[in-house]
Amino acid sequence: MSKLPIRWRLHAPLALLVVVLSHMLAVWALPRVIMDRVISLGDREALTQNSETGVYLPPPTDHTQRRIVMPSPDLLYATCAYDVGERPLRVTLDINYPRYWSIALYASTSDNFFVVNDRDAAGAAVEFILQGPNAQASARGTSENLGTVIRSPTDRGFLLMRVLVNDDPAVRASAETARRQLRCQSL
Amino acid sequence: MAEHRASFARLTLLYAGAFVIGALSAWLWLTRVGISGVDAGIWRVNLLAGSSDADAYTRARIALAAVLALDRSETLYYTTERDESGEPLRAECRYLISGSPPPSRWWSITAYASDHFLFPNAARRYSVSGETAPLDAAGRFSAELGPTHEGDGIWIPTTGSGGMRLTLRLYGPAASLQQAPQSLVAPSVRRTGACP
Repeated sequence: MSKLPIRWRLHAPLALLVVVLSHMLAVWALPRVIMDRVISLGDREALTQNSETGVYLPPPTDHTQRRIVMPSPDLLYATCAYDVGERPLRVTLDINYPRYWSIALYASTSDNFFVVNDRDAAGAAVEFILQGPNAQASARGTSENLGTVIRSPTDRGFLLMRVLVNDDPAVRASAETARRQLRCQSL
Repeated sequence: MAEHRASFARLTLLYAGAFVIGALSAWLWLTRVGISGVDAGIWRVNLLAGSSDADAYTRARIALAAVLALDRSETLYYTTERDESGEPLRAECRYLISGSPPPSRWWSITAYASDHFLFPNAARRYSVSGETAPLDAAGRFSAELGPTHEGDGIWIPTTGSGGMRLTLRLYGPAASLQQAPQSLVAPSVRRTGACP
């Protein structure tokens, strides 16, 4: 068996190291790339609705929805793409909807780091301040008087409100009213 | 000089190839190797979906197949791509889904094509849920799944051919189920009739 030239004895293990590192990089990056698309899409969609509430209201889910995989056709959604790197976000929701609803927060890593649902709220209005990972509690006008403060693990992220519906037009109308009460406003 | 350039080109090719092989192996691993989790009959649930405790592979697989999933305390997602006999679910075949309502605040079973999106159909029927499924005298529900149906009950139409996936969502799962998701008395999915 012939010996490899010296430079190949150096480069072969280095190339193998590149294989391993690029494999790990791809696995690490994939959820972040997908979330970046979700957040960017949410930003653009909010602009198309010219919303003063900071909320995007997607149409009811059907087979024409091909933005996000595995959508639930039994839920109405409302979304806010956020960036709390510079300014915190105030999220409010004041509804009395008799079916399941929830507000979930996702970091740009795709982790679901916070959920509040109808049972948690127990009929009370939801209100919280969302801050970035490096925010000072007392900085930029925020204070303990602003109520519950939630810290996002990443500056950018995504808020998804789910509202359970069925085929009853009255229920659908009620759910539509409910999701329109969501507010996401930068402070 | 020319030899030096050729050597540089070979090394560039080597490292570029190594990078591509690494990235491609990650893609194949994420898309071809099934997601890990706990089984309840033919259904599998990943308990780290949406969780910050998820490892890098789980996080990447969830992002690919079910981005924006909720944490297990809020929702359990059971999925299957097989019927009761272990055969892959196919959009051109007919199935009967039946079972008892799972212990949760609300549940649904939704059919997805192999691209993870809903099957196109004019009736806009994509799922059976605790809101829509009538229960028989024994307290059980059933729904037909496939390109055609026979009964008057709930029908989830499929179109085209190829693989498909069912997702069972349990919102507000019972505490016992959160602790032991394998204890779910899972709905059955049985093929009915011949498959074209």
